[in-house]
Amino acid sequence: MANIREIRERIASIQQILKITNAMYLISSSKLKKARKSLDDTTPYFEKLQSTIESILEHTPHTRQFYFDKRQGISDDKRKKGYIVITADKGLCGSYNHNILRYTEQKLSEAKYIDNCYLFVMGHVGRMYFQNRMKRDKMAYVDGEFLYTTQNPTLYRAREIAELVLEKFEKKELDEVYLIYTQMINSSQFEPKTVQLLPFSRRHLGKSPDGTMKKLPKASFVPSPEEVMAYLIPNFAKGIIYGAMVEAFCCEQQARMTAMDSATKSAKDIIKELSLLYNRARQASITQEITEVCGGAESINN
Amino acid sequence: MSKTFHLEIIATDRVFYSGDCEHLVITAIDGLIGIMYGHEPLVTSLPTGELKYMTDGQWHYAAISEGFIQVMPESSIILADSCELPEEIDIKRAEEARIRAEEKLKQKQSIMEYYHTQTALNRAMNRLKISQKHFK
Repeated sequence: MANIREIRERIASIQQILKITNAMYLISSSKLKKARKSLDDTTPYFEKLQSTIESILEHTPHTRQFYFDKRQGISDDKRKKGYIVITADKGLCGSYNHNILRYTEQKLSEAKYIDNCYLFVMGHVGRMYFQNRMKRDKMAYVDGEFLYTTQNPTLYRAREIAELVLEKFEKKELDEVYLIYTQMINSSQFEPKTVQLLPFSRRHLGKSPDGTMKKLPKASFVPSPEEVMAYLIPNFAKGIIYGAMVEAFCCEQQARMTAMDSATKSAKDIIKELSLLYNRARQASITQEITEVCGGAESINN
Repeated sequence: MSKTFHLEIIATDRVFYSGDCEHLVITAIDGLIGIMYGHEPLVTSLPTGELKYMTDGQWHYAAISEGFIQVMPESSIILADSCELPEEIDIKRAEEARIRAEEKLKQKQSIMEYYHTQTALNRAMNRLKISQKHFK
């Protein structure tokens, strides 16, 4: 039979943990509310942006625009690929980080020459993970100066990131740019997802939910298609990055809330079990004491 | 009343306006463009500036920062970073942003930062201008 004091200490320590997980649950649920709202606010923009760009491209005369340049002259083993990966800043959010990291690993292993992969990791957890990995087996360069948090996404941050990758693309430091983030399928299902940002291709845009856009023969561009595109594509990249940041943040909070909720539940379960054990042990010791007292009295009477 | 077309103005944080519009005037890169029903298909980018649209014979004004417009004969879509009514603009915040940006411009930094600050200053000035013009 376990020691009564031991059980009592365990119950107390679990109660402490329960308090923490419960507090984290409450925090993330209130943060989730905010993140949900900003996700809901951004979704119309995000969707319209994709469908509008798609419909604009349909009417665009074929341009020799810089961002469309596929650089086919560069062979597969020399292509420099950049990945923007959005992870969380903190752990304790279930499999959220694990999933996105494993997915990125998979993407990296698909790339033929891992030395030509450059990672731009947002969020502390992912950055630490890939930096350690880089030290260990010197694969996939991680940009150490790319320090962005994933907390409370802002347009300003998205703009900076978009400018950074576009600049690298223009300088030919990168030939392809991908964005890896967690997509929310419904409130309890998330999935890591890749979007190709650059070079800009007409096909990679996903189908928009409202395909009501009317076809028109040819749109005129003021002042010229090239100039409009030179402006439109950075803007589009920024919009996509912002949308991804908002969605990933929302997923993170949701994941943390679920994880903390189940942690709280199992802590409660353990406490229940332990208090049963504790009561049994207490009862046993009382019974023992009584028998001892009785036995003592008996021996005096005799 | 003239014929109306469907206008959608969508900012990153909300749907600013969605409905019928009689007349729309935007500031494009090279000047003002007026749009009415049956305008030829057009795509152009919008720098930070002012926007006005007429519904039921009434002009509405808004401050808009960086976006683009797709015009079709019967509908138009504007997608922008932000879009605000004159009365929504936080004058104090814009004023502070202006001072901050001007301060930064004075101590010349790298070219990139210079452009950043310049656009930030533009946004702040635009907000102040529009709120002073239409909201008094």
